[in-house]
Amino acid sequence: MNRIFLSFAAVCCIVLSACHKSNNSGSSESFTQVETDVINDFVNKTAVPKYASLAAAGVTLDSTIQSLVANPNAATLQVAQANWRAMRVIWESSEGFLIGPVEANDYDPNSDTWPTDYHQMDSLLLPTTPNALTVEDIEALPQTLRGYHPIEYLIFGVGGTRTAGDLDARKKQYLSSLATDLKNIVTSLDSTWTSAAVPYAQACLKAGSGSTVYTTKQAFFLDITQDNGMAGICNEVGEPDEDGKMYNPYIHQDSSLTESPYSGNSLADFKNNIIGAQQVYLGVNGGKGMKDLVAAKNTSLDNQIQTAFTTAINSFDNISGTDDMRFEEAIFYRRTQIAATLKALNDLQSLLDNNLVSFIKTYVKD
Amino acid sequence: MKKLCIIVILGTLVYAFSRCNKAAELPDSAYDDRMSGGNFTTLDASTQAYKQPIDGLNARQTVVHNIGDGTFDQVFVAAPAPHFGGLGPIFNNIACINCHRNDGGGFPSTGTSNSGMLMRISIDGADEYGGPLAAPGFGVQVQDQCLLGTTPEATVSISYTDVPVTYPDGTTVTLRQPTYALRNPYTALPASYMLSPRVAPRLVGMGLLENIPESTILSFVDAGDANGDGITGKANYVYDGYTKKTELGRFGVKANTPTLLMQVATAYQQDMGVTSYAQPDESAYDQLQMNLISSETPGNELVDSLLNYVTFYVQTLAVPARRAVTDSICKHGATLFTQINCSGCHRTTMYTGVNPAINLSSQRIHPYTDMLVHDMGDELADGRPDYLATGREWRTTPLWGIGLLSTTNGGTAYYLHDGRARTMEEAILWHGGEASKSQQQFMQLNKADRNAILAFLSSL
Repeated sequence: MNRIFLSFAAVCCIVLSACHKSNNSGSSESFTQVETDVINDFVNKTAVPKYASLAAAGVTLDSTIQSLVANPNAATLQVAQANWRAMRVIWESSEGFLIGPVEANDYDPNSDTWPTDYHQMDSLLLPTTPNALTVEDIEALPQTLRGYHPIEYLIFGVGGTRTAGDLDARKKQYLSSLATDLKNIVTSLDSTWTSAAVPYAQACLKAGSGSTVYTTKQAFFLDITQDNGMAGICNEVGEPDEDGKMYNPYIHQDSSLTESPYSGNSLADFKNNIIGAQQVYLGVNGGKGMKDLVAAKNTSLDNQIQTAFTTAINSFDNISGTDDMRFEEAIFYRRTQIAATLKALNDLQSLLDNNLVSFIKTYVKD
Repeated sequence: MKKLCIIVILGTLVYAFSRCNKAAELPDSAYDDRMSGGNFTTLDASTQAYKQPIDGLNARQTVVHNIGDGTFDQVFVAAPAPHFGGLGPIFNNIACINCHRNDGGGFPSTGTSNSGMLMRISIDGADEYGGPLAAPGFGVQVQDQCLLGTTPEATVSISYTDVPVTYPDGTTVTLRQPTYALRNPYTALPASYMLSPRVAPRLVGMGLLENIPESTILSFVDAGDANGDGITGKANYVYDGYTKKTELGRFGVKANTPTLLMQVATAYQQDMGVTSYAQPDESAYDQLQMNLISSETPGNELVDSLLNYVTFYVQTLAVPARRAVTDSICKHGATLFTQINCSGCHRTTMYTGVNPAINLSSQRIHPYTDMLVHDMGDELADGRPDYLATGREWRTTPLWGIGLLSTTNGGTAYYLHDGRARTMEEAILWHGGEASKSQQQFMQLNKADRNAILAFLSSL
């Protein structure tokens, strides 16, 4: 009898110990808290600092370009080029989360439309063209004549051959106003998150609790994951068809189809796009990221996503190689490596678009 | 005996099959109310809700859809250019997506890359096909942007006047009445001309609308108002410059375009100055400052495949699912929507025809349109006939997806053909003409009931 009782007790123990803990048992509140933490940290430690840095970089670039215009020489040109690249690092990584005002208020197309309109840009630079090229004039131009890439053309030139001596009065006027216009754009973008009448940061922070933009937390997490977020930028860079930023110049072996052809910065642009998405996933500045949400329920998926991010980001270095080859050349000489990166980006996007989205829909219910 | 058995069996089978419900005979309760686009409904309710492809595309179709998507987003530049040249010389915008924000609606402004409105123009009379008569020097659309070295045809001035409307319960809503004027024309405007403003519409479900059988649309016409509800409706028949045939108009706010191919090709041509095989003439053709452009050299600035791909992209955009279908307020709003006969024009349910190429066949859809043009009263009239549509008539706007317009537009939405309405309530209050009875009944409702209708519309 005793043995029967002991056996029964043992079976009960095994059964009870085998029972799944409820996903929310004791951790219901903590998972909800993780959700809140991830949102708060995304806003306060990723997005807001990113746009603040971008605004600061815009001020710096404008300042150095005004110096170049006032005193054009090799040194001032080099500083302007360096600051243009530095600003691109921040901007392209911010594209890891194209949510909210950056698209809704057209900051992205107003500053980062490409290709540039070569033909019209040449016309615009003719001294006979009746356009004073003031900042107000720049604001009225089509997006293909504003932003990063016309600046890139003016300070790098075709094939990166620009010298300070090339900058005639007309180019200097255009460059000066373009830089100020870009500074104004990123300053305004920064303010939409923090100091606008309805700061976008608040729309995010109140997700699921009064936000008219994100009526649920799930909607917020989906937004930073899907087309506007991490998966979206992976798709933009790695989409394996003629719409892909990498694929199109790669498959056509046409360097004129790259994003930053004058500076040869395209590969850095792509890599920083994905690093920006990774920052959303991991969190930065000591903050929580999407990984904390995923790891709370599914460590295997978290590991897969983290590994996929690392693989994709590291793969760009195989394209540039030890000789720091530009993407514009790599499309001819590093095709295997580009194909590997495209695959890595596809794998990552698939994980984000399918597994992570499914995870969010399954577990984030508020 | 064997024959008898066979006959009995066959007879039984025939009887059994005849008892099977056809889809159309199933009760409404047998369907999922969320599925506004039938099988081609997306559950995405995010800022990207209007950009979702329909389910069921095969690998090839997915590639075509994606390339069409990319081309839709692509900015065009001046020729000569290695890629995507052909913009202008005069235009309204540089990319489809700039007006159709997130494939949704445009903003009611003109003259910049961020604008989403254009102005149609014509003079009294009709062309040889019964369409609007082009204004000499301006054509049928005012292009308010241009390449360097040319001049915009004109700029558009927009001003608004407040119009307060007070409900019987004392609640007041302030509408805004627009006034439009052309400024700085590059050449003298005709002594008399007609203008019609158009804000870019959302694109969801266009392929399904293209597949509604003509007979279904015609069945909604009640020319003599036999049922006495004040609603008649008229089909617009328009000339297709590509097929060289007169066909039922389906697209555009006056149903003045028969197919999505022509809608897309005409938008490239008129809005961007980009020619194609379906619209080979520059919008600036035959204009005074455009004398370098010859009608003898039809353009093909958008390669054939890309025009087809963008058309396919628009055809294969899914319809957002309805939300809150079980919410009691929304259900009450849906009932009121029918009771005050909004559904007399915004027809709730119909079926698509057969389209094996894209597989959009035989879908039970809820577009909330009858695809007909209706007299909408003096306040909305543009006074500009467009084929059979008079200056007071507008096509019933499909309402599916309308509840997500603000979401896809970054929190801002504009309604009606010219974006004058800032809320759905304002849009309802502008309804007149054949919709007068419904509008008046809406005004007679108490606030809770009005809000229920608005909640229902927001759920679409």
